Amino acid sequence: MSAAVQDDRAESIRMIRDSAAAVAPPGGDLKRVRELRFQDPGFDPAVFREMGEMGWIGLRVPEAAGGAGLGLGEACALAEELGAALVPEPLIPAMLSAAILAGTPRLAKLLAGEAVLLTAWQERADTLEVPGNADASRRFIPMAAGATALLLPVREGRKLALYEHPAAGLTIERTQDGGNVGSFTPDLAGATKLAEDVGPALEAALEEAALLTGAYLLGGMERAFAMTVDYLKTRSQFGRIIGTFQALQHRAADLKMQLALTRASIESAAAALDEGATGDARRAAVSRAKARAAEASLRVTRECIQLHGGIGYTDQYDVGLYLRKAMVLANQYGSASLHRKRFMAVSPEVEE
Amino acid sequence: MDAIRIPPPAELDSLEDEHFRQVVRAFLRENYPEHLRNPPKRLHWAENREWYMKLAEKGWLCPGWPKEYGGLGLSPAKQIILTEEYERYGVARTNDHGIVMLGPLVIKYGTEAQKTFFLPKILSGEHVWCQGYSEPNAGSDLAALRTEAVLDGDHYVVNGQKIWTTLAMDANWIFLLVRTDKNAKKQEGISFLLVDMKTPGITVRPIINLEMHDEFCETFFDNVRVPKENLVGTLNKGWDMAKALLGFERIFLGSPRQSGYALSRLKLLAERMGLWEDAEFQDRYARLRLEFEDLKALFGTFVEKLKRGESLGPDVSMLKVIQTELFQKITDTMLEISGENAGLLEPMEGNRDLNIGGLYIQARPATIYGGSNEIQRNILSKNVLGLPG
Repeated sequence: MSAAVQDDRAESIRMIRDSAAAVAPPGGDLKRVRELRFQDPGFDPAVFREMGEMGWIGLRVPEAAGGAGLGLGEACALAEELGAALVPEPLIPAMLSAAILAGTPRLAKLLAGEAVLLTAWQERADTLEVPGNADASRRFIPMAAGATALLLPVREGRKLALYEHPAAGLTIERTQDGGNVGSFTPDLAGATKLAEDVGPALEAALEEAALLTGAYLLGGMERAFAMTVDYLKTRSQFGRIIGTFQALQHRAADLKMQLALTRASIESAAAALDEGATGDARRAAVSRAKARAAEASLRVTRECIQLHGGIGYTDQYDVGLYLRKAMVLANQYGSASLHRKRFMAVSPEVEE
Repeated sequence: MDAIRIPPPAELDSLEDEHFRQVVRAFLRENYPEHLRNPPKRLHWAENREWYMKLAEKGWLCPGWPKEYGGLGLSPAKQIILTEEYERYGVARTNDHGIVMLGPLVIKYGTEAQKTFFLPKILSGEHVWCQGYSEPNAGSDLAALRTEAVLDGDHYVVNGQKIWTTLAMDANWIFLLVRTDKNAKKQEGISFLLVDMKTPGITVRPIINLEMHDEFCETFFDNVRVPKENLVGTLNKGWDMAKALLGFERIFLGSPRQSGYALSRLKLLAERMGLWEDAEFQDRYARLRLEFEDLKALFGTFVEKLKRGESLGPDVSMLKVIQTELFQKITDTMLEISGENAGLLEPMEGNRDLNIGGLYIQARPATIYGGSNEIQRNILSKNVLGLPG
């Protein structure tokens, strides 16, 4: 990439970060997030519409199809900002849906944020496979309590057709972060076919969703860690600021290194995909980044609780919200263990 | 393969990066002695002199020095490429303290007379330098050093003891940090002194390390008289000068190459032990491998900074910690999976790539030298995170 192109890119990523402030209040006010917890639908449809108006749902959709046509560098930067603010609206699942709705009349309403269309692709826990069994229960649909309708991939011969399925009759289970997941058993009789084959698009969209989830986790762990470092600088015990204790300093340094590795992993994966990586190269880059983000986010957030001491264990103190979010997202779109295996299955030899 | 023309030294800095990389590869193929590739131990002067003199003859000895002083005048980005290619080819480290440490210091702080006298003798191989910084009671706390230099007429009289003076037995000159003001705050009474190793009163005693190698030495100074014009820079400002010299080279302590080398040996070993398909091993290997890939990505972000002309901040300490601890985790794993082979003094099956115990021991000092990892974590917590104290 030339220096000029690189500069343009950096500017575009900076603008996306700034624009996130519309939904993610600077200063880390989590009042709105707390108010939405543990009740249906777990997010604010008006904010979801705002995301549509900002062009975020269609961020990765080509301009010709009505999207913004931006890269994963931009998308990851946005997800990171939203993760820092624990924004609960299901933007990443909606972006996945947008990727497979190209060319269908449903796309416009989703991109506008007027319809919450969630894709019911998953048939079991911890997978990125889409078998598309017509009668198999679909599970773990994020924020399904707010779904306008569901998108149902169904295997038809060698193709993966896409149906729209009513959102009625969902079983909703709450998640640790205050959101929810839905499951249901499809009934094609009441479904409408939207597309003949979304297989390749869905496969790519799942890769991107995994990477974006990693970026969201990165934003969350950065914020939780920043809160913790602030606390170490102000909390006093034994007549000393606790941040002067070397045992705590070294733990903080270790967490900082986890953050740096996660950022390097996410950003290099986004760059690889933006440069056109496909197939095994794409899978390796995404799996590396998601494995790191999943493991690091759990480690960083639980150590942030420990470094806070008792106050970190109270629900009213915000750092716990980040732990709960990591518990939900670490395994969404594949756990660290799944991604390590997937990486090993596709990764090339170590270059010497 | 197309033959690649190797341009004169003065033109190297103006080549495109990728072209430069190809030139370095060609240069090594043409000039590097085959029998010195991937030496298992740090070489002595008698062993690597041949290569050192070849570099000197070709004008490639001092990549980072400005051209006007006989260097290649390479940018940090090109020096990184050079180092990557040297590492890839398995080029042995030379007795490079004059090249890497002393030369740049004299260029920055030395008098004209010092530059004229010392720099050409480094370039010609006549002067081989070693470094006298650490002392038995001044290791991580280097500023606690006590070897003193007292002015007596036209000479400083030096008394004290240095330790970890790498390859001192090969060197004919040593640069020292010495205390010249005992009453000042500890960082402020230190000066930088150049000493001819032939001066009466100097004793060098090798230390055998865990590798059973004698690269480190103790060096004793007993009323050693050093001409006062051998002081570099300002009296009592030696500490600041030595610190100012810690430049982008710190990045090399975090180069992923060492871990990459160890990982490929771990894979080979797992295959020999019949463990490569083992699910538990695969998961362990995957973790190490992913750590390596992320380290590479992180290293890349620092290289990018240098390419943009930025200087490195204290956060470069992260690379050193992550790299060296990964290197150790890999060698720990090698030891663990190799059964009784772990304890063999010689490489398993006589294969140099299966040097399990040797690599395990080689990995130990990585977290100690160049600022121990504990010191690096202090730097990160204070200078990057801004924690107090």
